[in-house]
Amino acid sequence: MAGTRSAEKPGFWIAFLVVVAVLAVVPLWFPNSFWQRLLTEVLILGLLAMSSDLLIGYVGMVSFGHALFFGTGCYGAAYALTWTESPFALWLALLLGLAGAAVMGIFVAFYSTRLRDIYFSITTLVFAQIFWVIVFTWTDVTGGENGLVFSPPRLSFLGLFAAEFTTMSMHWFVLAVVALCYVFCRRVTQSPFGKVLQAIRENEPRTRAIGYNVERHKMGMVMLSALVAGLSGALYGIFNAYAAPDYFFFLQSGETVIYNVLGGIGTLAGPVLGAGVFVLLKELFSTYWSPEYYLIPVGLLFTIMVIYMPQGLLGFLRHKLNE
Amino acid sequence: MSDSTYPLITKKLTMHFGGLAALEDIDLAVERGTTHAIIGPNGAGKSTFFNCLTGLLRPTSGRVLLEGQDITGLPPERISQRGVARSYQITNIFPGSTCLENIRVAVQSRQPTSSFLQHHRTDATTLEGAVGIIETIGLGGKEDVMASSLSHGEQRNLEIGIALATAPTLLCLDEPTAGMSASETRDVVELIRRIGASLTILIVEHDMQVVMSLAQRITVLDYGQVLAQGTPDEIQANPQVQEAYLKI
Ligand SMILES: Nc1ncnc2c1ncn2[C@@H]1O[C@H](COP(=O)(O)OP(=O)(O)O)[C@@H](O)[C@H]1O
Ligand SMILES: [Mg+2]
Repeated sequence: MAGTRSAEKPGFWIAFLVVVAVLAVVPLWFPNSFWQRLLTEVLILGLLAMSSDLLIGYVGMVSFGHALFFGTGCYGAAYALTWTESPFALWLALLLGLAGAAVMGIFVAFYSTRLRDIYFSITTLVFAQIFWVIVFTWTDVTGGENGLVFSPPRLSFLGLFAAEFTTMSMHWFVLAVVALCYVFCRRVTQSPFGKVLQAIRENEPRTRAIGYNVERHKMGMVMLSALVAGLSGALYGIFNAYAAPDYFFFLQSGETVIYNVLGGIGTLAGPVLGAGVFVLLKELFSTYWSPEYYLIPVGLLFTIMVIYMPQGLLGFLRHKLNE
Repeated sequence: MSDSTYPLITKKLTMHFGGLAALEDIDLAVERGTTHAIIGPNGAGKSTFFNCLTGLLRPTSGRVLLEGQDITGLPPERISQRGVARSYQITNIFPGSTCLENIRVAVQSRQPTSSFLQHHRTDATTLEGAVGIIETIGLGGKEDVMASSLSHGEQRNLEIGIALATAPTLLCLDEPTAGMSASETRDVVELIRRIGASLTILIVEHDMQVVMSLAQRITVLDYGQVLAQGTPDEIQANPQVQEAYLKI
C-alpha cells in the first residue's frame, strides 16, 4: 500500500485550478473597480493570514505581531520604489520587502525558541508595537504619520515586457503570487520538515526524544512565515502605492489572527476565506455605521464563531461536505 | 570493563531533587545483546535513571558512557541520534496523528535533513520502513487509525514502535506492560523477545514473570541505590531482595 500513495489527493489540483480561475474571472463582471480592488485586497490580506497560519496551525505558536513583517515588507517595497523607476522596480520592491521581513524574522525566530505559548504571543506583540512607535516617530526616514507615498511600479518580466498596472492586471498579478505561495506553503506543511513541526505541536518532548532539533525546525518555520508575511506587505505597498505606520499597528496583527479563526486554522486556504469575510463585513458595517464601530459586530461574530464553529468556516464547510 | 562488551556504562550516577536522592552512585554496565531488567519498588528511581540516560534530566553528578563516549548531559535529540531510544511509563505518543504518521515521523528522524519541498508520502523508503515497524508491533491494518482512538494496549505497542522506529542500538523500555491485559502482556513479551534478538534492551518492569522470562541480567534498585545485581536465579535467591521487594 505504501508505494501507491500519491502526493496530493485526487481532485486537489482540479479544485485548486477552479478556485483560481473563478477568482481571476469573476471580478471582470464587478460593476466597478472599487469591488475589484477590494477582492485584490482580500487576497493580499489573505496571504498575510496564510503566513500567520503557518505558525498557528502548524506549529501551535500564535503570533500577535505579524504586522511587524507585514509593515517591514511594505516599507521595504516603498523604499525600493522611492529610489528607482527601473524596469525591474517591481521585483526590486518585492525583494527589498522580503529582505526587510527576513531581518525581522531572524529576531523573532531567535526568541521563538526561548518563549512559548502566551509569552511568545506577547513578545511578538510588544516587538511589533515598538517598531510601530519607531516608524511613527522617525519622520525623516519613514515619513512618520504620513507614511511614504510613491508611484506604483510597472508590471515587467525580465525586461521583456513592461506595462502600467491596470486594476485587473494588478489583480491577476496578486492572484498569481498568492496562488503560488499557497501551493508552496501547502507543500512545505506536507513535507518531511512540515511533518516534524506538526509532531512538535502535538508532543514537543517526544519529538525531541526521537532525535529532532526542535529549535532549528521552529526557527525555520518562523522564517518562512515572516517571509510570506513580508511578501504580502510588499504587495500591499505596491497595490496602494503607499506605506503607512498603521500597517505595523497591533490592530493589523489582531485582525490577522481573526482571519485565521474565522476561516479555519491549519488549512492555509481558510484564512484567505476568513480575510474575505472580515473585509466584506468591515465594508458593509462601515457603510451603514460609523467606521470606528465595525469591531463591535466583528467581535460578536468572532465570539459566536469560536463557540459554534471552532474549526472555522472552511473546516465547517468540509465537515458538511463529508457528511 | 571493556567498552565493546558494554555499550552502556554508568559511573556513580547521582540525581538529587532538592533534598531527595532519587539516584545515588549508580554503577551499572549493560552487556551487548542482552536484555537487562531494572526492578524495584515504586519510587525507587527507575524512571529517573532512564531520564538521566536519555537526556531528559541532567544528572547531579556521575557519568553516562555510551560506546565508551561520555554522553552525560547531552540533550535528548543528540542522545537519540547516537542510537538510544526509549519508551515511556506513561504513554507518550502523537495522539492527533494516524498510527502510520506516529511511526513514519520517527523513521524519518534518521534522515540526515528534513526536506521541505518533497511531499512526505513520496518518500517511499521512510514509508516502507514505517509500514514494516507497524507490522512488527502488531498494528498492521491500523495505519490510518488516529492514535488517540487506539485501545490502551495498542497505544502501548505504538509507544514501543516509535522508539523502535528510530533504529536504536540500545532500547530502554519503561514498564511496557503497564495496564495491559494478560493476553496483551503475552504479545508484548513475545515482541520484546523478538526485537531483543538484535538489540540491547534495558527494561523496567513490575511483572516478575515478564522479568524472569526476558532478562539475562537484573539490577534491583531501592531508594535510589543498587540493592543487588545478578542473573534472574541469583536475584530470586537473594534474601535481601526477597525481603525488600519480592516479599516471597
Ligand atoms: N522531576 C522530578 N522532580 C522531583 N522529584 C522527582 C522527579 N522525578 C522523580 N522524582 C522523585 O524521585 C523518586 C523516584 O521516582 P521515579 O524515578 O519515578 O521512581 P520509579 O520509576 O522507580 O517508580 C520519587 O520519590 C519521585 O517522587
Ligand atoms: Mg517509573
